[in-house]
Amino acid sequence: MPDSEALHASHRLEYPYSRSVGPVIGAFLTGLRDGRLLGVKGSNGSVIVPPTEYDPTTGDDTGDMVDVGPGGVVESWAWVSHPLPKHPLTTPFAWALVRLDGADTALLHAVDSGGPDELATGDRVTVRFRPAAERIGAMADIEAFVPEGGAA
Amino acid sequence: MAERCAVIGVGQTHHKSKRNDVSIAGLVREAAKMALADADLTWTDIDAVVIGKAPDMFEGNMMPELYLAPALGAVGKPMFRVHTAGSVGGSTALVAAHLISSGIHKRVLTVAYEKQSDSDAMWALSVPQPFAAPLLAGAGGYFAPHIRAYMRRSGAPEYIGRMVAVKDRRNAMRNPYAHLHIADIDMKMVEESMMLWDPLRYLEACPSSDGAAAMVLSAEDAVSGHFPPAWVHGMAMRSEPTMFAGRDQVNPRAGRDCSADVYAQAGITDPRRQIDVAEVYVPFSWYEPMWLENLGFCDLGDGWKLTESGATAFDGDIPWNTSGGVLSSNPIGASGMLRFLEVAMQVRGQAGEHQIEGARVALGQAYGGGSQFFSMWVVGSDKP
Repeated sequence: MPDSEALHASHRLEYPYSRSVGPVIGAFLTGLRDGRLLGVKGSNGSVIVPPTEYDPTTGDDTGDMVDVGPGGVVESWAWVSHPLPKHPLTTPFAWALVRLDGADTALLHAVDSGGPDELATGDRVTVRFRPAAERIGAMADIEAFVPEGGAA
Repeated sequence: MAERCAVIGVGQTHHKSKRNDVSIAGLVREAAKMALADADLTWTDIDAVVIGKAPDMFEGNMMPELYLAPALGAVGKPMFRVHTAGSVGGSTALVAAHLISSGIHKRVLTVAYEKQSDSDAMWALSVPQPFAAPLLAGAGGYFAPHIRAYMRRSGAPEYIGRMVAVKDRRNAMRNPYAHLHIADIDMKMVEESMMLWDPLRYLEACPSSDGAAAMVLSAEDAVSGHFPPAWVHGMAMRSEPTMFAGRDQVNPRAGRDCSADVYAQAGITDPRRQIDVAEVYVPFSWYEPMWLENLGFCDLGDGWKLTESGATAFDGDIPWNTSGGVLSSNPIGASGMLRFLEVAMQVRGQAGEHQIEGARVALGQAYGGGSQFFSMWVVGSDKP
């Protein structure tokens, strides 16, 4: 039988799930909306960013929330030379692990440095939030990190 | 079984429609930390973690056990996921118990959960498939015709289902963790509630709950905790396909075989006389008389007569669902484990207001899918 005679149907599956973020990630996201960067103290005193409800190594509850940043250090990065429509920036940028000042873990986000020659591991960067009116309490409230001193 | 296995810690969340105050990780930790505290242990004392939940499509969270490992203190330890639809909470506890009875581990944490408010199980269970007639019926719509078949076979009067609905909700009033607390529940209120799937009315169906359950299981030489252990006397699982010619969905063979196995291990020849209390998965009222027969508490056709006589009531001779049962709390993935956990609490004497005095031998049962997955254990206050 030719293929064209075999019946074929599309099967679209979609549902609008929701998520409850809980008290710790909730505080972090609320902080972003307010233009603040928050971490949480782990069981050995190290500061975890983004914060978790539990120390990822010991499983113990994490402690107090602390302010971190707004500056930090690029730990590693990969250059995106041709951004796609769903990327956070329309111009070429880096995906980078940024360890914020006061934090012991790195956060994944975009760095808007202008070009790959303007970025190196170990460089200092600082946060660029979206305008307050556009912030909703989500990771995208951080538009990108930029070289400290605006060197780009 | 080679090594004796004991329940030394139990924990559960307050079950509610929406636990917006916690994340999924926070929900499972709430139950797990309570179980650890009951066992007087910490995360570091645990050798392995076994976690269960119902289908991933319920929350749209694929393989959640992977990201929940650090939330359950499982970094660097064996951890795995069990999945047997609605019976999963029971199967999960059994897999954990096997790790003890086989001598592989000394202390195992087992956890099960569902966060129904993040999703819609009714949708997830009713996804239309290409070329198939869309039922859009959910679980209740699937089970209703089998309930009608039971009523026709047994001659049970219509009000039996309502009696179960009232009994289990009254038991829930004794359980601070139960989702539904309907103080003025009575036969009239059930009868006047909306018909959902004939013959099941709204108040004859389980709620949708967020919740989690956890237990710490241990080997005999690792027993600890604030209450005496519940000893596992028997455990069994059985399953059968959803559809095959000659399948009896009212009295499934997998359930009969499963109970025969667990009774043989526990030395039970007369369940009604030898079992002091039972927690049985009754998400729709009529499954009490149906499972009374399937579990051999009476002859075929007589289940509804036991319910009618009050034998399964809190003050009856075989109290069923002292916690309020699935009819009062249904965090699906955890619902099976809550059955197993309640009977452990009963033989440990820690059930508080829903304690059956002198309970020494108890049966926990869970079922899932289209009445096709069964898991059971018998626990006792004495060593097997």
